[in-house]
Amino acid sequence: MTKFKILLAIVSLFIGYNQLSAQETISPSRKQAIDSLALEKVRDLSKYISIVGNKDTPWSEANRVIERTLELFADGAMMGVSSINREEVNYYGVREYLERLMALNYDKVNIEWYNIQYISDLERQPDGRYVGVITIYQRFEGTTEEGLRYVDVTKKDITVYVERKSTQVAGRIIGFWDVLLGDIRVSETKPG
Amino acid sequence: MRYILIAIILVFTSLNVEAQGLNSKLVDEGILNASTKQVNQFFRRFNGEESTKGERYYPGDRDFRNHSLRNQYLNLIFDAQNNSISSQLKRDFVNQVNSQADPQYIDFHSDGWFAEVTTKFLYQGADVYITLFMKLEQENLGYKWVMSNVYFPHFKNLFSSVSSDPPKFLHPMSHEIDFMNLIRVFSDKDNVEQYIEKESSPDYLSMFLYELKKGNLKYQSVTNLKFHFFQINGWYFELANFNRPGANSGWLISSLTKLESETDKEAIIKFIMHE
Repeated sequence: MTKFKILLAIVSLFIGYNQLSAQETISPSRKQAIDSLALEKVRDLSKYISIVGNKDTPWSEANRVIERTLELFADGAMMGVSSINREEVNYYGVREYLERLMALNYDKVNIEWYNIQYISDLERQPDGRYVGVITIYQRFEGTTEEGLRYVDVTKKDITVYVERKSTQVAGRIIGFWDVLLGDIRVSETKPG
Repeated sequence: MRYILIAIILVFTSLNVEAQGLNSKLVDEGILNASTKQVNQFFRRFNGEESTKGERYYPGDRDFRNHSLRNQYLNLIFDAQNNSISSQLKRDFVNQVNSQADPQYIDFHSDGWFAEVTTKFLYQGADVYITLFMKLEQENLGYKWVMSNVYFPHFKNLFSSVSSDPPKFLHPMSHEIDFMNLIRVFSDKDNVEQYIEKESSPDYLSMFLYELKKGNLKYQSVTNLKFHFFQINGWYFELANFNRPGANSGWLISSLTKLESETDKEAIIKFIMHE
């Protein structure tokens, strides 16, 4: 009977905690903190893309960076890529996208990121997680051995998932917000 | 703050800026900053809920929904190359939306707006375009986009026969002959819809799901996206993405119509849905 009471108390506590976290809303100051965390991950992604794309990066190092990049993403995240001259969107897994970037047939590649980022509101999904989109711009320049130069500017709309998680530290349950990147829409912008 | 706003307006309006090339990176960033980069940003600019640097204003912030800031934004979120939106019409709209006495705002979670998504599928071995109409639906404490209607010309053409000469029908004593005359109905596929009740209309969404589940439709990709807004009293506007050089780019109002009555609204919705 005592065991049953203890079990009942634990179940009540767990349900109570879940209800609390399910109802948790994000205040403007909390949103700012989450935005910073999300931007940090996006900056990591930008850095990794530049490293993977750089022709001077050794193959083994590029592969190591690809693994690090994948850790930023939720499972199954995809890149949807379109260009100005093609209406369809081509879909790639994140690994495939990075491997294609690594294998591009240029002698020299220079990837720069514009100092513009736009962070959307966070919207709650039916499963309780929050989702937002961060927009950044990338300038790609590839030069072939013959000196032919290709330049494009792409807009990257990056899905960001924000989830309330908890961990146990010294017997206490500590809540924290976890950020993972999701699908990325890559669209070529029309140059001026 | 005022100087930043003036600077961004100059970027928005300067044609010289549009002519700048990619090498002029600083100017490019000004253009990218001015472009309405997300639908979310369109909502914020329409409502006057963000700074010129793109920082979110919240209720209680000094400039949240500031009248003059909003006025500037509202004049910049139209497709400036669209001559069908007259200056007078635009002025009437902005004056109503940003009136001191009764300002009106758009709301992400409310009814009165939906998405029109053009998609490409493979159908019976050929590329076809199918339009999905999508709306936000609440579930638990969150929201999700759901398909509310579909337009596929192939489905529509199946139901194009509405009358024939002579008219087709099952005579009122068919029951006495155990509906043996149904054989005539089903051997005349082109006119079969004449035998269904008047109020009945085809459910294209169900047909779409059926074809998808049967494996006859294979998804390729999204090819176009726009949004239709009916949230402002007496007005309809369309929101489309303009991927082009210059500051007047991104998500902009591409069509604006004054609605005189509820009938006007219904007519526009029917037109959008191809009904």
